Amino acid sequence: MKVEVIRDDGFWTEFILRDSNPAFANAWRRAMKSHVPVMAVDYVDIYMNSSYLYDEILAHRIGLIPLKTNLEKFNLQNQCVCGGEGCPSCQVSLRLNVEGPRVVYSGDFVSDDPETVPVFDNIPVIELFEGQQLMLEAVARLGFGREHAKFQPVSVCTYRVLARVRINESCSSCRKCVQVCPRNVFSVDEDRVRVIDEFSCTLCKDCLKVCEENAIELTETDDFLFTVESIGQMEVREVARRALDAIKSKAQEMVSLMEEL
Amino acid sequence: MFPVRCFTCGAVIAHKYEDYKGLIDSGKSPKEALDELGIKRYCCRRMFLTYKSVLKEFARYHGAVG
Repeated sequence: MKVEVIRDDGFWTEFILRDSNPAFANAWRRAMKSHVPVMAVDYVDIYMNSSYLYDEILAHRIGLIPLKTNLEKFNLQNQCVCGGEGCPSCQVSLRLNVEGPRVVYSGDFVSDDPETVPVFDNIPVIELFEGQQLMLEAVARLGFGREHAKFQPVSVCTYRVLARVRINESCSSCRKCVQVCPRNVFSVDEDRVRVIDEFSCTLCKDCLKVCEENAIELTETDDFLFTVESIGQMEVREVARRALDAIKSKAQEMVSLMEEL
Repeated sequence: MFPVRCFTCGAVIAHKYEDYKGLIDSGKSPKEALDELGIKRYCCRRMFLTYKSVLKEFARYHGAVG
């Protein structure tokens, strides 16, 4: 197994996983989505809310704001020394005390931990009008994507199987496949149909349907093209690495369970 | 208020809303504005295209309803 990075700007990455299998590719995809913990606001103490939004809606909006996450610094609440009660090593408070008229942005939160701050400072949380006031304390903790989508470190996280496209000798150069292919995989070169862009093929098999000579051979390879977009808590590389760690520890747990049998 | 995240894909979009509004006010079409801000997927694009603020409407009746 080998990973080949095609494009990576930190938060939007494309890479090819070579010589693998669908089971592993899908395990990795799912682990990236749901087995990498990130920080998000999960509990909000509202002392004063005279805005137009209900407390619940406001709390929901605050929960969706992504927070920069340093996984080395914090423990999962159920594995923390405090036993899940909440302490500085498993949770962070973000305070907000504002008065209208103004728009409240995510950057207005005052965090207890200078590293755990909103990824974006300019998310409009709520608009306050004359005489409206907001006083609250939001408590962030680590959580997994399977619990709530706000704990997901990635938004888009998909893969597709790369195809192997070959044209054999029985090709009559009828060019039907050239016309029908939605991804322009084929092209005509000196009266012969040639494969010019195998990489773009999505295995839709439209070319097989129009080819009367059965001259096209489409096969799935063992290569997978991943497209991963991070929400911003951490870079895609770190998400991918931590997802692999999660798979590994789960596999090891499985092995030890099997030995007990 | 403008949704913090896209309902479908979960990507954060609200941080681009004020830029979008600025571009629209400067006379750009929604397509140009969204392309400029790099909102690629149609799930996220529709969040911008179909958004209507009601909070300002409420504010007009401030005092009348308490």
